[in-house]
Parts: sequence; structure tokens; C-alpha cells
Amino acid sequence: MAATLHTPDAGAVLAARKAHDEKLAKRADQTRATWFPVTVLAVLLALPLLQFTGNYNYLLHLVLFTASYVVMAAGWNILGGFAGYVSLGHAVFFAIGGYFSGVLLARFGISTLLTAPLAGLLAAVCGYLIGLITLKVRGPSFIISSIALLMIARILFDHWTFIGGANGLALPINDLPVLWAKLPYYYAFILMAAFTVWATYRIKHSKLGLGLRALSKDEIKAESAGIDTRFYKVVAFALSAFFVGMAGAVWGEYLTYLRPNIFLIILVSANLVLMCILGGKGTIAGPAIGAILIVGINELFVATMGASELNLFGTGLVMAVALMFFPLGVVGTLARKGKLPRILNWD
Amino acid sequence: MLEIRNLCKYFGGIKAVDGASFEVERGSITALIGPNGAGKTTAFNCISRTLAPTSGEVWLDGERIDHLRPHKITAKGLSRTFQISRNLADMTVIENVIVQSRVEGLAGLFRPAISPQEKDKALGILDFLGITRIAYEDGHNLSYGQKKLMDLAALLMSDPKIILLDEPAGGVNPSLMEEIVGHIRALNAGGLTVLIVEHNMELIMRLSHKVVVMAQGRVICQGTPDIVRRDPAVLEAYLGGVLEAEAA
Repeated sequence: MAATLHTPDAGAVLAARKAHDEKLAKRADQTRATWFPVTVLAVLLALPLLQFTGNYNYLLHLVLFTASYVVMAAGWNILGGFAGYVSLGHAVFFAIGGYFSGVLLARFGISTLLTAPLAGLLAAVCGYLIGLITLKVRGPSFIISSIALLMIARILFDHWTFIGGANGLALPINDLPVLWAKLPYYYAFILMAAFTVWATYRIKHSKLGLGLRALSKDEIKAESAGIDTRFYKVVAFALSAFFVGMAGAVWGEYLTYLRPNIFLIILVSANLVLMCILGGKGTIAGPAIGAILIVGINELFVATMGASELNLFGTGLVMAVALMFFPLGVVGTLARKGKLPRILNWD
Repeated sequence: MLEIRNLCKYFGGIKAVDGASFEVERGSITALIGPNGAGKTTAFNCISRTLAPTSGEVWLDGERIDHLRPHKITAKGLSRTFQISRNLADMTVIENVIVQSRVEGLAGLFRPAISPQEKDKALGILDFLGITRIAYEDGHNLSYGQKKLMDLAALLMSDPKIILLDEPAGGVNPSLMEEIVGHIRALNAGGLTVLIVEHNMELIMRLSHKVVVMAQGRVICQGTPDIVRRDPAVLEAYLGGVLEAEAA
């Protein structure tokens, strides 16, 4: 049979491949603009120079805060966007990373900037093990299992005295002057965000990404196609947890204290889901756009309406209206309509 | 090559497959036929492990495979299509085909989604099936017949030893049906074993080397098309009307 299949008209195959490569290259040239994210990264890396002209700590905080959500939302997107498994329990990995690095900092004085990758690895291992159990179900059952995970973790962390229980754990404050105190965390989050976006691009264009896309469409068909769907899913869960755990590690030191009611709340997980849905689930730029929009909109309403119930209403209303016009998220919908600006095509 | 022994699949009190046994010889085209509800597709699902059988055994090349997960059965060389084409929407035809190529180990997951070798192989298969021109169309833009051909192309990407085709000509126009028949014959001539479920009796009788007839979950007859055509149990259970009409 192999002989039958592998000796078609070689010239026709090569011609078809050449035509396709040219078509792809032309399309990529027309639609993709990788210079844009690279320029944004360069601007963000240079942004702290503003501190020489005044105190821009609030601006740096906002960028840092957004970047932390870019890391987590892009990480969440591997499982929720590529594989189609919506998790509301990712705050658990945020907490695992935060507490692992936080405890090392509090007890041994090791900066979280050094231990963040290890925190990510621990979160990934936990994600893998949890995924082996919870990824046996999908749809609403999986979502509920992820909420249950969050609730179990909250009870555990609230009563674990070694890590401070419900009272939390205070972490040492760095001794940099106020003007520069945010900088280590700022650069950590910017670099992590860039790395995560790049990593999700690589994952999407790998065998894993192709397999995840296939199983998100039709898991039975994907399994019949020879894809070990269970393995793919748990690997996706572990990778997803890795990035969220890494972000949690640095976030803990930045806050200077760890408490379960900061890390283990559904709002953190819900934000990741909303950012990906608003930006475009399963796209590369989507989580970043979603994070920028939600942090920006929320900040705008807090500034104009105060931290009241009204600001939440405002954010929710904007989201609802946005999704009416962009049901696949901003990036997803524009791409489907063929109207995605080049600067947002990172796929 | 493929041996099904006393296969049963029950859904509560309904016995969809009830002790079916038959064999598919290497290099043959074997047809599995029967009236609606006979249990053909359920048997297919149990053989490919899309459904877990209630009991019974499935052997491929002397190895029992009924306990394996579907992806492992595919890796052993048994691939299948579905009755209703389950192409992966939002993925191009070539992606739908290449997704069926094998990936080894954890490191394999991080290889590029489409290697040049895989691309050449996939294009070769699409060329063989005469659908190279739609290689980069999205799966959801295809016609029903094109989806059937894409399903067949995807199967071939995994270098199967035996393919299970669930109504490959169902719902396609006569000209495309002939094309599909030609492809099946060519693949079989190249050494590929084929097990096929199809309702088109004329097609089955001229394509198959062996026919297995199921009714009410059981195998009631098996043999060459001529033997099956004359079997009284088959005539009564299923084929009578069709054959009588043909004779008339």
C-alpha cells in the first residue's frame, strides 16, 4: 500500500507544495506584523526611564499588573483556548506558585525572581496530577470539578499553619528606593509575558497544538485519528499551570504578603476566562488584548465611579456589549471576518 | 488478520451486537451489511474501541486489541472513518490529514505541527485521491463528497494495515461513488485490507471478496457475494426484496 501512496506524480506534489508555500508566504507577509509586538516589548522595557523625569509608579504598576494577567491568561489559553477545557480553578496554581516561592523567600531569603521557574514547575506537576483526575470529564462537569479544586485548595491553605493559614504570611520588602522598588517585578512580569506569548505561539504550531485543536473540535475523532487525547490534555494542563504558577510566585513578593483570600478566589480564575473570551480564545494575541482591555476598562471605571458596585456593573456591561459584536472575542471575530489588523495577527 | 469473537454490546436491555463473530482476511475487501439497526456501526465502534464492548474479543494480527484505547488501535494499524464525516472544522484539509500522522513520546509533541516530509506525504495522498486542489481549504467549506475523500486521505496518513470504512459512498453522487470505489480497489490492490459498511448492495456485491451479514446484532451469514446472495436466511432477513427486484 505504501508503494501505491508514496509514488504519486512527484512533479505534481512538488508543484502543489511550492504553490502552497508561496501562497502561505504571501499571506503571512500580507497579514502578519511581528514587528508590532517586538516594538511594544521594546517600549515597555524602556518605559521605566520615565522615572528619571518624575514618579510614574502608578503607570508602572498598571503595566506590571496587566503583564501579570497576560502571563496567566496566555497560560490559561493553552488549556481553555487550544484544548477547549474551561477551567475556573487556575487560581490554585497561582497560589501554589505564590506560596512555594513566598515560603522560600520568608524562610531562606531567596528572591522569588530566582525561584519563579521552580514554582512554575511545581504548579505544572500539580497540574499534571490534577489533570489526570479532572480531565476525564469535559464541558460543565469539568468546569464544576475545577471550582471544586479551588474550594478544596482554599480549605487546605486556610488551615495549613506552616504557611500561615488564613492569617497569611508576611514577606520581606525589598530595600530599593520607592521610585525603583517596582522595577524588579516590572521587568520580571514583562519578560515573563513576552516569554509566555512566544511559548504559546510555539505550542500552537507544534504537534501538541495541532492535537489540542483537533480534540477541542471533536475528541472522539481526534482519539480515532491516533491522538492520545488524555496525554495531550494533561500536558496542556501542566503547561498552562506552569505559567500561572510562575506569575503567582512573583506576584506574592510584589504584594509582600500571602493570604488565601488574595490568591484562592474565583475572581482570579474568572478574570483569566473573561480576558481570553474577550480577546479571542485560542488565538495568540487574544489573551494579551483581553488583559489590556479588562484591566484598562476596570481601572477606568474605578477611577470614574470609585471602587463600588457600579464599577463592576460598568465593566460587565462593556463586556456584554463587546461580546455581542465580537462573539469570538476581538481577535477571533476580526480574524473570522478577515478584518484583523496586521498588528494583531500574532498567530 | 482481524478476528472478531463473540462480540457483544448491550445498551441496557437492547442488544445492539449480540455475539457477533467473523474474520477479515488479509488483503481482502470484506463488507459488513445488514438492515437498519442490525448493529453494523456499533460493531465498527466496538472494533475501533470508540465504544467499549460489553464482552467478546477483537484480535488484530494475533494480538488482542479490544482492551486498548482508540489511539493505540490506530497505532497498531487499524484506522476508521465515521458514517457522518467528522472533519475538524476550522482546520484546513491538510491539517485534517496530517493530524493523523504519528507522534512519538513527549518530545514529539513539541515538533513542528507540519514537517516538510509530512506535507509531502499528505500532498501525495491528496494527489492520489485527486483532491490536491482543496488541500488548503477549511474543513467546513467542503462538500459532503469532499469530506468523504478527506476522511479517506486522513486514514492513509497513519499507514494503516486495515481500514474500516463506514458508508464511504453514503450520500455521494454516482460519479463520485465510482471514484471512491476506484480508490478502494486501488488501495486494496496495493495490499491494504478493507472492512466496509455500506447500504448500496450493487456496490457491495461487485466490490467485496467476502460479505458478512448481520441482523438483530448477530451474524446470520458470511461468505462470498454469490453465497450470500443465495442464502435463504439473508434473503428472508434482508436482501430478498432487493434481489427480487434486481431479478425482475
